[in-house]
Amino acid sequence: MNNSIAIIGSGIVCAIGTDKQQVRESLLTGKTGIGELRYLKSRHKELPVGEVKMSDADLKNALAVSLDREFSRTALLGAYALRQAIEDAGLSPKSLKGKRVTLISGTTVGGTDIAEQYSCGNNTRAIARLVGIDCEVTTISTACSSALNAIILGVRMLLWHETDIVLAGGTEALSMFHLNGFNSLMILDHNVCRPFDATRQGLNLGEGAAYLILERTEDARLRERNIQGYITGWGNRCDAYHQTATSENGEGAFLAMTDALQIAHLQPNAIDYVNAHGTGTPDNDKSESTALRRVFANKLPPISSTKSFTGHTTSASGSIEAVICLIAMQGRFIPGNYGWENSTAECIVPAEFTAEKDLHHVLCNSFGFGGNDSSLVISDRELPCCPHREEPSPTSEYTIAGENEITQPEELKELSRYLPSMETRRMCKITKAAFLTSIRVMETAGITSPDAIIIATQYGMLENGGKILDTIQEQGEEGISPTLFMQSTHNTLAGALAIHFDCHGYNITYSQGEESLQWAIRDAKRLICEGKAKNVLVGLHNEMPPKFKAVLDGQGLNETHEIYSKSIIVKSI
Amino acid sequence: MEELILELKEEIIRVLNLEDLTPEDIDPNAPLFGAGGLGLDSIDVLELIVLLEKRYGIRLASAAEGKTIFTSVGSIAQFVSENRKK
Repeated sequence: MNNSIAIIGSGIVCAIGTDKQQVRESLLTGKTGIGELRYLKSRHKELPVGEVKMSDADLKNALAVSLDREFSRTALLGAYALRQAIEDAGLSPKSLKGKRVTLISGTTVGGTDIAEQYSCGNNTRAIARLVGIDCEVTTISTACSSALNAIILGVRMLLWHETDIVLAGGTEALSMFHLNGFNSLMILDHNVCRPFDATRQGLNLGEGAAYLILERTEDARLRERNIQGYITGWGNRCDAYHQTATSENGEGAFLAMTDALQIAHLQPNAIDYVNAHGTGTPDNDKSESTALRRVFANKLPPISSTKSFTGHTTSASGSIEAVICLIAMQGRFIPGNYGWENSTAECIVPAEFTAEKDLHHVLCNSFGFGGNDSSLVISDRELPCCPHREEPSPTSEYTIAGENEITQPEELKELSRYLPSMETRRMCKITKAAFLTSIRVMETAGITSPDAIIIATQYGMLENGGKILDTIQEQGEEGISPTLFMQSTHNTLAGALAIHFDCHGYNITYSQGEESLQWAIRDAKRLICEGKAKNVLVGLHNEMPPKFKAVLDGQGLNETHEIYSKSIIVKSI
Repeated sequence: MEELILELKEEIIRVLNLEDLTPEDIDPNAPLFGAGGLGLDSIDVLELIVLLEKRYGIRLASAAEGKTIFTSVGSIAQFVSENRKK
C-alpha cells in the first residue's frame, strides 16, 4: 500500500503576483515585489515592504463580498488564495460538500484591527465562510513557520486517515502591529533585503497567503486528479536556544532538515534545490548557512531565498514558498536570490536564476520565533514515505501521566520557588502560569525533558499584544517594547518551555478557540502512535486581561478566568 | 552627572524589570553585560535603545551601536549627556 500524499491544487497571492501565473512570470523575469508602503496606514514610509497590490476593497470585490462587511485583510487574502487552490484542484465548495475535508491555516497576527477576528481561530473560520465551505477547521500559530507546520499537520492527518481532503497553508497581512514590532527589534532593512549577502542588514516584511490541496495519492489517482507534486518528507524541531535569535550551529534547522530527508528516505545529494528561509537578517542567514553546511557538507545543492521578491510574509511564508517550489519544479527553473552581490564566508553562496533545470526533489525551509524550525520535501514523484498503520491506533498506546491546573493569579508567586528572578523578570502572567503548571506536571511524571511540546491557547498573549496596540495608539508608532513584541506570538510559551526543558523535539501551538486543547491532545497521541515521542508536554494556557474581557462580555461571551493554565503529560505505554 | 547616573539606574531597573535591585546595588563602572556584571543580554540592548529614544530623544542606528555605548551605567551617562535632545 502506498502512503504518499499528492498535491492536487495550489493557490497563491503575494507581492509578486495574485496568482501562480503572475508569480511565475516575476520569478522568471527577476522582478521584485518590494517597494514603498501603499495600503498600510503607517508612518514608516522609510521601510520597504512587499505588499499585495490589491486594496481590501479589491479583495472584497474579487470575493463577491459586500464592502460594508467587516473582514480582516488576513482573512481576505487567505480566502483569495484558498479559492484559487480549490479551483486549481478542479474542486468547488459544492463538490466538497459532504466529504471529510479539513482546513488547516497558519496565522499569527490575524486581525488585530477587528476585535472578533483578533483570534487566529476565528480568522480561519472567516476564511472558510468567505470561500463557502463548511468543514473541520484548525489553526496553527507558530509565528513565521505557521504555514509550513499547517501543511505538515495536513499530511499526517491524511496518512492516519483522519480526513480525506486537506486544504493547508497560511495567511498574514501586513499590520501596524508587526511592522512596528519588527522595527523595534531593529532587524528591518531600509533598502531591498539581500539574503546571504555580506552587506545584508535585515528583512523586509511582506504579506500574502498560499494554500495547497492535498489528498492521499491512491485517492487522487482514483479520482483522476491532476497531480502537481508530492509531499515526501517533513520535519519540525525546536532550536531551544533563544526567543528570537538563532543558535550558532543552527541546531533546530539542522534537525528539521535531517528529519525531512529521513522520512523521504533521501540522501542529501538527491535534493536538487533548497528554498531557504533566508530572511536577510545577519543572524538567520549565518545560522541557516551553518545548518545547510552541516546537512549537505561540501556538496551544497543550488540554494536561494525568494524573500527579496516577496518580502518576509511571516506566518504565510511556509506555504508561499512551498508553492514557489512547486512553480519552479513545474517550470523547470531555479529561482534566483534577487539582490545578492557580495559573498561572505559566514553564508552560503546562493544560486543564480537557472532555466531548464529538472527539479526532482526540493527542500523548503521555514523558521519562526521561539526557534520553531520546519522543513518540507516536495518531489515530482511518489516516494514511500514513513510507515503508518491503516487505522488510528488503539487508545491503549497512550496515557495521561499527570495533570496540573492554575486558575488564580495569586498562585503565580509560587514560581519563585523554582526559578530565579533574572529568569522570570520578563514573564507576563500567562507565561508564569505556563511555567508553573509545566514544571509541576513534569515533576509529577518524573520527566526532566519531554520529547515534544504541544501548546493550546485560545487567544494567545493578550496582555503583551494589548500593551503593544495601546502604545501604537497612544504614542503614534513610537517606543514599542521589543521585549513585549518578541513575547507576543502565540508560540511564545512553547518556545520558552522548550528552552527551559532543553527540548529540541516537535513544538507546535494550536489556537482554535475552545477546541484548541482537543487539537493539541489529538496531536500528542498522533505523535506517540508515529513513534516520534514517548512523552509529550501538553498545555492549555489562556489569559483574559480586563480590556479584552470587556469586549467579549459585550459579545455575550462571559470569560470568567483572568488566568487559566493546565499542563498534562501524554505518555506512551 | 551624579543626578543623571541615578536617574539612569532607576530607569534601567524599571524598563528591564530588575525588581530585586536598588540603584545602590549597581556600580556605575561595572559591566552591564556578560559574566561579572548585571548579566544583561541582547534583548536588554534593544530596550535601552527604546529608553534613549523615548527619554532623551537619541536615536541609534543599530543594535551593534548600542552594544558599544551600553558598557556600563557610567558610559551611558556620558553618551546621554553629550547627545541628549531632551
